[in-house]
Amino acid sequence: MSTGQITAPGAPSPSGEAAARPGPRTGAHSARGRRSLSSRRALSFYVFAGPWVLGFLALTAFPLGYALWLSLTNADGLSDNSRFVGLDNYREVFTDPETMSSLARTGIFTAITVPLTLAAGLLLAILVNQPIRARGVFRTLLYLPAVVPPVGAALTFKLIFDRDSGAANGALDALNLDGISWLMDPYARWVLVTLTLWGAGNAMIVSLAGLQDVPKELYEAARIDGANTWQSFSRITLPLLSPVLFFQVITGIIAAVQSFLPLLISLDPTPRGVTAVPEGNYLFMIHVFAQYFANGRYGYASAMLWVLFLIIVAITFLVFKLSKGAVFYAVDPEPDKQSRPRTLGGK
Amino acid sequence: MSKTPSLDRRRFLAVSAGAALGASALSACAGSVGNTASGSGSGKTTLTVMTVQNEWDKNALKAAEEALGMNINVIIWDPTKLNAMLAAKNPPDVVRGFGATETPYFAARGLMTDLDPYFAKSSALKVSDLDPVNDVWRYDGKKQGAGPRYGMAKDYSQDSMFWYRTDLFEAAKLDVPSATEPISYDEWLDLGKKLVKRRLGKVKVYGLNATGMGVFPQLMGMTASAGGSLFAEDLATVDFSSPEALKALQWYLDYAKADIGPSVTNPNPDGWDGPTYQANRMAMSCNGYWFGGLIGGDPKLAAASRFAPAPQFGGNRVSSCFGATGFWIPRDAKNKDASWKFFEWYFGGKPAQDRAASGWGIPSLTSLRSKMPQTNAFQKQAFQVQEQELPHFSVLSFTPYAQQAALEGVLTKVLPGAVKSGTPAGKVADTLNSRMNEQLAQGKELVG
Repeated sequence: MSTGQITAPGAPSPSGEAAARPGPRTGAHSARGRRSLSSRRALSFYVFAGPWVLGFLALTAFPLGYALWLSLTNADGLSDNSRFVGLDNYREVFTDPETMSSLARTGIFTAITVPLTLAAGLLLAILVNQPIRARGVFRTLLYLPAVVPPVGAALTFKLIFDRDSGAANGALDALNLDGISWLMDPYARWVLVTLTLWGAGNAMIVSLAGLQDVPKELYEAARIDGANTWQSFSRITLPLLSPVLFFQVITGIIAAVQSFLPLLISLDPTPRGVTAVPEGNYLFMIHVFAQYFANGRYGYASAMLWVLFLIIVAITFLVFKLSKGAVFYAVDPEPDKQSRPRTLGGK
Repeated sequence: MSKTPSLDRRRFLAVSAGAALGASALSACAGSVGNTASGSGSGKTTLTVMTVQNEWDKNALKAAEEALGMNINVIIWDPTKLNAMLAAKNPPDVVRGFGATETPYFAARGLMTDLDPYFAKSSALKVSDLDPVNDVWRYDGKKQGAGPRYGMAKDYSQDSMFWYRTDLFEAAKLDVPSATEPISYDEWLDLGKKLVKRRLGKVKVYGLNATGMGVFPQLMGMTASAGGSLFAEDLATVDFSSPEALKALQWYLDYAKADIGPSVTNPNPDGWDGPTYQANRMAMSCNGYWFGGLIGGDPKLAAASRFAPAPQFGGNRVSSCFGATGFWIPRDAKNKDASWKFFEWYFGGKPAQDRAASGWGIPSLTSLRSKMPQTNAFQKQAFQVQEQELPHFSVLSFTPYAQQAALEGVLTKVLPGAVKSGTPAGKVADTLNSRMNEQLAQGKELVG
């Protein structure tokens, strides 16, 4: 009985890799073979994609769906009396002054930290891309803070900036200057921004990889044409680096709006888990955490997270739209067309 | 001829979804607790205990397992994790908790196991031997202190009492507080102001920490001491505007504004007083008898430290307990009999005797009271002061409609701005009432 396998002309055996090679086929035999080949390819696809799909369904789709259901209830996770409240939680998200102010604060935090981190990462990348002695050491030192777990970094900053026993005020003390309550308003937000910038090593590494992909011939040609350093940077480096920077803008925004650092930096280590985040650092995710775990409002907090999810999608879409013409792709992502420089949006 | 079933995308996704649910179910099984251990091959029961990190070291854990004849799986205590496990109906077998502030919340939601039948059958733990403090673990659906027992305290303290350093009092040329007569809160604040040491805008030595166990319980205790109550009788609302509560609130605002110790405007980075007090950087620390366990471990510190009665606002002498830390068994725990065996060993066996002799709190069995340390001068003084304070012990009912963290959260959001701007206490009280009562109302709707 036929197994349905097709042997391509010239193949050494009906089995093995060569059997899967495309080749001329005829009649019903050939059609059956195409179906079999197609099934095998499909099977390979599903086998390789399966683990990811399973992970997505179990760890992303199900939690998202469950959170969506919770957001329509007044559940606290522990009581049996929760009920369906429709869109009440969503209405509250947009009418609760505390939620809206935490959202606004998050927007400001994002608007400050994303450009600063991007600029710092690019500057550092340019510096450590110079042909200097021991640049590997400099690269390592500058990247190290990005490797430190956020909790460790936050606790370190907390100790450094403690008013009464921290190193920052110790330095001021040595200069006979008054100490500052760094971890309280209005300084707390700047400690937070500093902590965020401290981890700019990640941006540096990504930008450095982009810089090293810029062909040196372009700089040489520009120099011959009489371009100065700024012109080389603005006409060659920036355009060729724009996809890398664009990637960092998108991921940076997503990370910033979900930032949890204020909680870590303000974490009260007593077993009661009470948190005391200064007003200036009370970002959206901190408010979500407080609603979930301090106030037991699983429904409301889930609605807040869904709103945040939609905001992130909207911002990403907006950034893509706004970046039209600003991002330069050296390689055409469509392989069937001739490779040519193009900008996002099909220009 | 065999027909190969087609594997279209829709079918694949359906199968994947089924597999995903299966996988999550399997994962839930793997994470379930209290079952007979299969991994160890010993056939012993595995008891999952959620407790603090330093509860047992490796040797102590091994000794505990041998004594109980079961494996112990320790989960580090974390309120977020506990809430998540309770919500998933997959809780630990035994959970560490604060009886004074947590019992009404969990009991009202039916999440705790009624231990009365176990006490009735037990020869190791007799109700007649229980110290009255264990009543904080009782809740009858309306008030704390009555009804079924849902847990037991491992030890306790009267948490408004305070420790002080005689060396810092001597350096400031101040008389030390009486060991028998409580000082007033105003006198206490004055002492703190006189003992604080500053340099260039920084506090080098705190005069006083007034809130070792959290701001909210402290305000509850102070209000009670002034003759009032922060919670209404039905525990469904707070009232910071009553004259007694306002007095307590004003005191705390003055304390925070004076900047003489850790507060909502300048939290202690260590999170508790131990390291600061040990480092000669705190003159008075509001912590109960349990803090003596730390002090007793350092002879120099012990020689310089003394214990004092809880300060008072009015003639109604109240000395409350804000913790009564102990253990409870969740309703959905898998191994309740094994959990009770743990209770009998932990609360009535050798660990209880060792704890009683250590000075880290007053034992929760009256039969163990005689084991409290009284060897050196420091221990004798602390024991005498504690003995005189016991008659003033009281249970202050906590609300079933919110967790302490939620109420503390409101305080830490409202008070810093109020201290900074000098907002009148009455206005602060109105804000606190409004925000806390809104939360309590939401909780009440769920509890019913």
